[in-house]
Amino acid sequence: MPGERAHPAGGLSTGWRTRAWGRLPAYLALGGGGLLAAVLLGRPEPVVVVAPMLLVAALGLARARPPELEVLVRLERERAVEGEEIELVVQVSAHRAVPRLEVELGLPPGLRALAAEPGARPTGLAAGATRTFRRRILCERWGGSLVGQLRLRTRDPLGLFTYEEERRHQLPLRVYPSPQTLRRLLRPAQTQVFAGNQVARLKGDGIEFADIRPFLPGDRVRRINWRASARRGQLQVNQMHLERNADVVLFLDTFSDLADASGSSLELAVRGAAALADAYLRTRDRVGLVSFGGTLRWLTPQMGERQLYRLADALIDSEVVVSYAWKALEVIPRRTLPPKALVVALSPLLDERSLGALWDLRARGYELAVLEVSPFDFVPPGSRPAERLAYRLWRMEREQMRARFWAAGVPVVLWPRGEPIEAALMAAAEFRRQTRVAAR
Amino acid sequence: MRLDPLRLGSALGAVALALALALWPMLRAPEPRQLVVPGAVGTALVTLAVAGLWPRALAWGLGLVGVEYLLSLVLVAAPPDLTAPLFGLAWLLAAELGWVALEARVGERPWAARLLATAAVAVAGTVCGWGLLLVALLPLAGGPWLTALGVAAAIVTAGVLLILARASRAA
Repeated sequence: MPGERAHPAGGLSTGWRTRAWGRLPAYLALGGGGLLAAVLLGRPEPVVVVAPMLLVAALGLARARPPELEVLVRLERERAVEGEEIELVVQVSAHRAVPRLEVELGLPPGLRALAAEPGARPTGLAAGATRTFRRRILCERWGGSLVGQLRLRTRDPLGLFTYEEERRHQLPLRVYPSPQTLRRLLRPAQTQVFAGNQVARLKGDGIEFADIRPFLPGDRVRRINWRASARRGQLQVNQMHLERNADVVLFLDTFSDLADASGSSLELAVRGAAALADAYLRTRDRVGLVSFGGTLRWLTPQMGERQLYRLADALIDSEVVVSYAWKALEVIPRRTLPPKALVVALSPLLDERSLGALWDLRARGYELAVLEVSPFDFVPPGSRPAERLAYRLWRMEREQMRARFWAAGVPVVLWPRGEPIEAALMAAAEFRRQTRVAAR
Repeated sequence: MRLDPLRLGSALGAVALALALALWPMLRAPEPRQLVVPGAVGTALVTLAVAGLWPRALAWGLGLVGVEYLLSLVLVAAPPDLTAPLFGLAWLLAAELGWVALEARVGERPWAARLLATAAVAVAGTVCGWGLLLVALLPLAGGPWLTALGVAAAIVTAGVLLILARASRAA
């Protein structure tokens, strides 16, 4: 903000701005007129009449000094989940008496101050006194922001002046998307070497039954399938599928964003990615992130609770940065996309660079599923016939693009706003099942 | 539309006081018709101001009511008016009520300490006024020296206010 400077007590400050109410000039003018009239008329009454006004003005001017306040701001915590409430505490200490103090809180978008507590009303402060204002803040929308913008307003004892100051205490607050429980996920076709919850194609020690084979020396007796052994006349043992983990890379397209009053396609994609990350990490899979856009961000696949927080931090920092530079997969570090990883892309499929990257992923043999964040929810068809025709052509072009992906075996599933991501995931799983059947 | 009781009460109080202040000199003057115009216009301006139609007119309205009082002094040409301090107190009260009504329009509420401080200063001003009147009633022979002293006192008062205004701006 122009004119801001660092305040000794912390934060950035605009300095005190003094505003005189209309009373002061009026009292001074009427008082001056009274004095002049007394001189001109040679009578004492005009002075007597304006004496109270002149006294109010004189005392008001004599006591007019900007307040000296020390303000400390702290947040209950630095992290919250969407929908949660947190408390902001503002502690104001006065070096000089302040007859009236108001503290207004300015909040960035996505945060809303709830109704002030009774104690947060304007109040006076004696010299050396400290007052604490507490305000509950509702985290309405995920995102990262700096909180602590305050407007302090004080008045002089006679109410002739108002002193205002804006202070910005930059307290970081990260609001994570509200967790979404996904019961079913898109299963990766290939697994990795570490133990996990995914049923691998390989056989070994596991729970899921895979096959039977003849007994070999060293096989455990408890593995013998007695019923099959009796039927075949020789000892048979059960073979099980291994349980392994998988690598999942979430590919977030941040090249383009469509928005209206109730949200944006990027917001939807981030919510979806957060839900997927949470769900895959719960099943002991390694999850990575590629935020592919004007600025490139990535996280190599890892597992565990800490990775969930890393992913959430990376997701809430996602934003669309306009860039005209051509970008392809070469800019992504190789470790970010491990072999045999399942890549789940969340994209409105509007930017050629994203489409090119997706085709490149497919060409490199990655198992790819695309959740197309529906752009149709954000683009109205228009009212004029030409607009409606253009809209239809655009939809047809998009259908053709989708059909090209399908032909290459890539499930591209439309994810309309307001529908659960699980439905889109199931549609992708169904597509993969059908293509496998067709391939046989 | 719901009216703010504070705004309504203070506005009505300001208008009633302005009307009373406008009528008071008329009751005492031998030719009240000459005072009707400034008194009526002053009261109308105060009404317009506190109604929020023309807020800047409050000072002008109060000024016209004061002018009406001065005119009455000229017309009556009587010895010093002992009710002048009370007129001054009521005048300040009308002004304060008017400004409270205007401040209430923008959500400002007067606080108890301010009201008490203003009342105390107003009473002190009234007492000072009576003191001045008593001095004026002393049987001193007038003359250029006394007139010069009065002019000097007025200039000093204005000067003190100017210095205070400059000091407050510097602070």
